[in-house]
Amino acid sequence: MKKVDKETLKLAAQHLMFEMSDEEYESLLADFDSIISKMKILGEIEGIDDVEPMTFPFDVTNSYLREDIAGEPLTREDALKNAKDIHNGMIGLPRVVK
Amino acid sequence: MRYMDKNLREIHNAIISNSVTPLELVKEAIELAKNDDNNAFEYICEKEALEKVRKLDPSKKNNLLYGIPVVIKDNISTKDIPTTASSDLLKDYVPVFDSEVVTRLENEGAIIIGKTTMDELAMGGTGTSGHLGTTYNPWDKTKTRIIGGSSSGSAAAISAGVVPIAIGSDTGDSIRKPASYASLVGFKPTWGRISRFGLFPFAPSFDHVGYFTRNVYDSAYLLNILAGRDDKDSSSSFEPIEDYTKHLEDKLEGTRIAVINGVIDNVSDKEILNSFNKSIEYLRQNGAIVDYVDIDLILLEAIQPTYFIISSSESTSNNANLDGIKFGSRIEGKTLEEVMVNTRTNGFSRRIKDRFIIGSYSMLEENRNELFIRAQKCRRLIVNAFNNVFEKYDAIYCPAAPTIAPKINLKEDTVFNKVNISEHYMAFANMGGFPSITLPLGFENSMPFGGNLSSKPFQESKLFNIANYIEKGTGLSDKVAKRD
Amino acid sequence: MELRAIIGLEIHVEMNTKSKMFSDAPVSFGQLPNTQVSAFDMSFPGTMPTVNKQAVINAIRVSNALNMTIDNVLMFDRKNYFYSDLPKGYQITQYFRPIGRNGCLTFNSGDENITINIERLHLEEDTCKQFHVDDFSYLDFNRAGIPVIEIVTKPEFKSGQEVRKFVELIRSIVVFLDVSHGKMEEGNIRVDLNVSLEDDNKRWSKVEIKNLNSLSNIEKAINYEVNRQKDLVIKGKTIGRETRRYDETNDRTVMLRIKTDSVDYRYFTDPNIPPIKLSDEFIKNAIDTSPELAHVKQKKYKTLGLSDYDANLITNSKETCAYFEKGLETGCSPKTLANWINIQVQKVLKLKCISINEFSISAKELGELILLVEEHKINNSQAKSVFNEAVETGNSVIDVINKNKTNHILDENEILDLIKEIINSNQNLVNDYKNGKEKVVGYIVGLVMSKTQRKADPSLTNKLTVVELRRR
Repeated sequence: MKKVDKETLKLAAQHLMFEMSDEEYESLLADFDSIISKMKILGEIEGIDDVEPMTFPFDVTNSYLREDIAGEPLTREDALKNAKDIHNGMIGLPRVVK
Repeated sequence: MRYMDKNLREIHNAIISNSVTPLELVKEAIELAKNDDNNAFEYICEKEALEKVRKLDPSKKNNLLYGIPVVIKDNISTKDIPTTASSDLLKDYVPVFDSEVVTRLENEGAIIIGKTTMDELAMGGTGTSGHLGTTYNPWDKTKTRIIGGSSSGSAAAISAGVVPIAIGSDTGDSIRKPASYASLVGFKPTWGRISRFGLFPFAPSFDHVGYFTRNVYDSAYLLNILAGRDDKDSSSSFEPIEDYTKHLEDKLEGTRIAVINGVIDNVSDKEILNSFNKSIEYLRQNGAIVDYVDIDLILLEAIQPTYFIISSSESTSNNANLDGIKFGSRIEGKTLEEVMVNTRTNGFSRRIKDRFIIGSYSMLEENRNELFIRAQKCRRLIVNAFNNVFEKYDAIYCPAAPTIAPKINLKEDTVFNKVNISEHYMAFANMGGFPSITLPLGFENSMPFGGNLSSKPFQESKLFNIANYIEKGTGLSDKVAKRD
Repeated sequence: MELRAIIGLEIHVEMNTKSKMFSDAPVSFGQLPNTQVSAFDMSFPGTMPTVNKQAVINAIRVSNALNMTIDNVLMFDRKNYFYSDLPKGYQITQYFRPIGRNGCLTFNSGDENITINIERLHLEEDTCKQFHVDDFSYLDFNRAGIPVIEIVTKPEFKSGQEVRKFVELIRSIVVFLDVSHGKMEEGNIRVDLNVSLEDDNKRWSKVEIKNLNSLSNIEKAINYEVNRQKDLVIKGKTIGRETRRYDETNDRTVMLRIKTDSVDYRYFTDPNIPPIKLSDEFIKNAIDTSPELAHVKQKKYKTLGLSDYDANLITNSKETCAYFEKGLETGCSPKTLANWINIQVQKVLKLKCISINEFSISAKELGELILLVEEHKINNSQAKSVFNEAVETGNSVIDVINKNKTNHILDENEILDLIKEIINSNQNLVNDYKNGKEKVVGYIVGLVMSKTQRKADPSLTNKLTVVELRRR
């Protein structure tokens, strides 16, 4: 596992598109210690590596698939009413560099 | 005459006998909401509610919910009514569609009178982290105690007698914990039993729509309305639905109930233990078999970290749509990246960012085996352990919390609390999708506390049956925190 | 030592379903921006994905055509990253369990048969479209959520020509299976390439070329890139791990960015989509009801008497196959119809730069025109002039035939009357014939032809003459 330090956390925040203050990173770092030590203990639980990871609470497998029928789309007004900077029915942004 | 203190059947009878009209009920609820001093409301839908009540279809008069005012937690989508999840980032967001729960309630004739405060994006258990600040516990006249969360405003509104039913959501214990602190019946069904369409996702594999009532009958009745397959939610169950009020009075003979030692051993409050034991006595007197059962302590202790890692991981992804571009409080910048960063930096409080970083970190390739995947494996062990109990028992019964509502402490709610099994164990029901109900057990220094009952998936009828007996034993139903 | 190119492909095929992959918003191309979107496509909080049945059926059919193992449980995962064209901040895809695995496809390139192994085929959703104007970008969500199939091959191609043939075949497959419009120029099929070099001892770094959208560009980009890399190796320079694009104007590849440590997409199973069981029956039914692929049609056409050449030409396009099959319903000869389509019709299409769907003479009309010839109601050259006039005027074939009474073809009775007239006026002809002078027949036919300005059908006239002479 990657070592957690302030730089790691900063990088993570950067990937998640937000910033935090130095003080906030410090305090999060302390929380990380306690989380990681807890998770280490879990790694020692008997049989933990004999089971499959669980995503769903119980077996929820079904066979439903939606029929391919087009529904009524949103009006353009509704689609865009919560967005800013609308030009010609599109949402405007500072130029995106690919 | 005040009606919002009463239960559904009492209010309904008053409507049927023309003692009161839906309009009068809605006006009463709105008046109470306006005078709310617990910080329960994000938005009071006065105009919308008055319009809807005028358009009520009188042919639906015989529905129990006809004309009944309700409040909705503010992470549940309501068309043309602001829905903020108590986050600054969403303070101006107005949905263009209704959630399935709202549609079903309105089809029955219920009237939404307000949207309620919550912990920001439902991530928290104290009701102190929403963008409008702390929500208070109506039972505490000094305004020094939390009501718990994250469904804090819904709990506060119903326990203060503003409405007879309140919709919430439960990812760890977000309905069932506040219910304990507020003398309420707080219920979440089996995962997939009530459609989540329109519920802002926190951690979908744990998320449930649920609700508060002030008695077990109302809780069972509400499930009749809200349960059932919804094609808009792929996780919605195809299991047939039932009349959940039908078995409330069934005899308890032969019903087997397990108390988990590891939980009860960590409750030291004498009043709580005393009331809990009394309710067990009552269950036994009525023919139930109550046993004390062990679950490996390390698994009980693992519930909180497991819950925390999985929920944080899922939440990071679920909230990646909050970038200010399609909706939300966009803050400009010179580049696209700057727009996103400015919006998210300003839109989320610190504890949300903490969770996102922890969640994201847990899922990175180099860490996932020791964090996310390990938590998912642990989840299976925990659920297996509870399923083993459910093989022999119809229900698991424990105090819902080790204490009455704690004092407000804004510093305490860091991301990772000290583990106390009895404080955090209820998340097992989210991990296994088990239906679970909290109901009042008693009072200590006039502050309420409750017990919690869970069963196997889709055994809601049995759950309500046992809950109904517990309620009879305590005599604690339809309790409203009195205003001075 | 010989340097060899090794190339692998990722092909994205945008489907032509009626609704999107996970929402019921319509899939409709060329509409006003942001008019084909649902709340889900805008990633409004609380919306949830629902899986499109037809998209799954399509994926099964393509997997089957690529000889893949089809998973009987459908699961979806989230690929997490922030980008303006990705509304949810993650894309729903199939990372852990692609619906199709371990396939292969054999095709002809140059004179050899080549088999390429295919690693995976999975379902995912398209992103939204961005337009860049001056200092601004604009977002149109109509494309967001359109179902996409991604096909990933093993790096087993050796040349641009092979890749081109392969992509051509994939295109034919998805078009014939009615999975996609298959228009590369409109981005229905987008290809990413991985190009690297190896010799007996070493393998050099992989270079990615993204977003190629025409067959010829694919081939040209590979040719350029392979030469560029060989040149670097020969000069002793290093080949960087990078992403490049093809610059069409200057016929070269240009660097977009250097590949740093690969992005960690933090994949995990989407908790909003429970596993979906695909029963054996469902999979079998999807395959059994699958539209025919080009090579199946080819085989079928050959049994109808078409030459390899004609069958090949017709199955070059699905629309042409449809036209051909519609024409056959009239009962005309398949071989003649194929001939007409491959020569006369194609000539007009080329001249007018239109597709066969826009062609003014319907398949039914063409079939009926051919039938007239076969029933000797008109002769071949008349049919051709009717065809040409119909094309030029835009009138229907029937209208052209009715209008031009003068060109009206002699029917059996009219021809017979002429024959009788000739024989009656020269009784010697009968005698000569009965005495064994066969050439009398030719003489009479010649007379009929000249009297009718060659409007009579020669073989029919021949037949009728023989019958009449024998009758006398």
